Amino acid sequence: MAEQTTLGHPVELGEMARPSRVRWAVVGVATLLLLVLPLARFLDSYNYVLQIATVIFMWVSLSSSWNILGGYTGYISLGHNVFFGIGGYVAGLLLLELGWSPFLTAPLAGLVSMLLGLVAGLITYRTQGPSFIISTIALLLVVTLLMDNWSYLGGSSGLSLPLPGFDRDWLKVPFYYAMLVAAIGAVLLAYRVQHSKFGLALRAIASDEVKAEMAGISTRRFKVMAFSLSAFFPGVVGAVWGYSLAYLRPVIFFLIAVAARMVLMAIIGGRGTVAGPVIGAILIVVLDEASVSFLGASELNLVITGLLLVVTLLFFPLGIVGTLRDKNRLPSWLDWD
Amino acid sequence: MTVAAALQIAILGLLLGGVYALMSSGLTLMFGVMRVVNLAHGAFIVLAAYFSFFMWDLVGIDPFVSMVLALPLFFLLGAVVYRVFFPRIEGSPRFTEMTVLMTFGFAFVVEGLMSYYFTGIFRTASPGYARVSITVGSFYIPTGQLLAAGASALLLISLWAFLKFTHTGYGVRATMQNRDAAQIVGVDVRRVSTVAFGIGMALAGGAGALISFILPFFPARHWQWIAILLSLVVLGGMGSLKGAVIGALGLAVASSFVGDIVGLVWAPITFFGALFVILMVRPQGLFGKKARV
Repeated sequence: MAEQTTLGHPVELGEMARPSRVRWAVVGVATLLLLVLPLARFLDSYNYVLQIATVIFMWVSLSSSWNILGGYTGYISLGHNVFFGIGGYVAGLLLLELGWSPFLTAPLAGLVSMLLGLVAGLITYRTQGPSFIISTIALLLVVTLLMDNWSYLGGSSGLSLPLPGFDRDWLKVPFYYAMLVAAIGAVLLAYRVQHSKFGLALRAIASDEVKAEMAGISTRRFKVMAFSLSAFFPGVVGAVWGYSLAYLRPVIFFLIAVAARMVLMAIIGGRGTVAGPVIGAILIVVLDEASVSFLGASELNLVITGLLLVVTLLFFPLGIVGTLRDKNRLPSWLDWD
Repeated sequence: MTVAAALQIAILGLLLGGVYALMSSGLTLMFGVMRVVNLAHGAFIVLAAYFSFFMWDLVGIDPFVSMVLALPLFFLLGAVVYRVFFPRIEGSPRFTEMTVLMTFGFAFVVEGLMSYYFTGIFRTASPGYARVSITVGSFYIPTGQLLAAGASALLLISLWAFLKFTHTGYGVRATMQNRDAAQIVGVDVRRVSTVAFGIGMALAGGAGALISFILPFFPARHWQWIAILLSLVVLGGMGSLKGAVIGALGLAVASSFVGDIVGLVWAPITFFGALFVILMVRPQGLFGKKARV
């Protein structure tokens, strides 16, 4: 936990070296299940479950990335879907102009997002707290305005992409694996950050920036790096997601509600923990599906998002993982930190 | 561009700026007194605009009457919202950040309910004066905008007078200057905060009623407004009323020019561009003190 972190005492670096056997068994079984899930195609028209799983992986990747900046560093971005959208458009353009498959260009899209994250970080690194949050919203709106009015990118009506040439029955499978890789990648990145000196510095910034600065941490450089790093996987999943929809449109990527989702998932699961965003993503996607099929109105979905955020902040601001750990009741298979 | 054309654009910009000033004053007050950044301010403005629109459209009540009605209604709403939600998080270490996230949640709740009940159609109330304009010399001035700017000025002056001359106003200003010290000298900070939050919300209510006949609106419109308003608040220096008003007038004029020269859709870029520049050059804003976060 951030409060216990003392610089020069890398307590957590030591703690990571005792992974429980149970945890590894759980991770192993889960990975195996996830890898063979598409085989269920042979049983039935299993595409619905596959689709839900793909969406969950996407959100795991998005909210885990957000967590690097919003959780570990304590800098809340409410415009993080900018990077998601940029990734989608970069890969889409490469597909349209050069015929390169987004599955191959997704990492490139991630790198472009990182670059944009670097620029955004350089613009905002002198701000703190509310000013920072406000500037991320402004960034989102500036990019939205550009995308809505840039005729080369189709403006607000967007661009159509060619469908991949796979067999229709198996169409969803490559997207499933691509998102699975992006999700695992983002969680591993979060884990690596958590257990590195870099992550220690980020948490020092989160708990007290002035003290961190005085302890010799170059807070500005670390903040810009965290911003940039947290933009990579949103770009990657944006590329894959755009391809899977076969069209790119600003309203898919740049609605602030998309950013709200990332924030909500990370907070409800537990900000600044590795497992938190994963739990949050699963919970919210499943809840979404349930609410759409029971209530049928997407406006009410917005209400639920807002209510959940408020209730979480009021009653358990540490999120599920954080609250359980606080009470020493976190099961070991959920303790990924 | 001739001088006359430039003056015409400046006049239209100033009229809009007056309303922006009113819209951002409530936000500034809330931040100044309570360190609350209210991301739902825009959503409540849209709610008030709907109130005024339906009063006009269904009952035939003039938006200015609705404005007068909206003030006490939204004051009460604000006081209740403050009392129900904010004392719970008062002690949390990153209070301002918590308020941002919580009001982010409020904004979605209000927007979602409005979308559900009022649909996403563009609305504008259309009383007679909103469709005519007066001519002064070679300039034309839309009557509706002129009246709205006048009402904004009136409300802002009342706010100033309240802060300057009433006992509660003293308390509010003292709390804005130094919350702890105000508490020590006997200001009932909790009560002052409730009143200030109510006033901030009442200003949103008044602004919304005025907006209802000068700008078309729909539920999701508030995101653009809140981003513009927050840019103004940061620009002026968080919590500085003077800064917010000057920023609103100046940038509204600038954005009118951008809208005229580059194209109307690009006008909002002015606010965000100015925000980014000020953040890089002077992060505490034009009239702000060095931040103590």
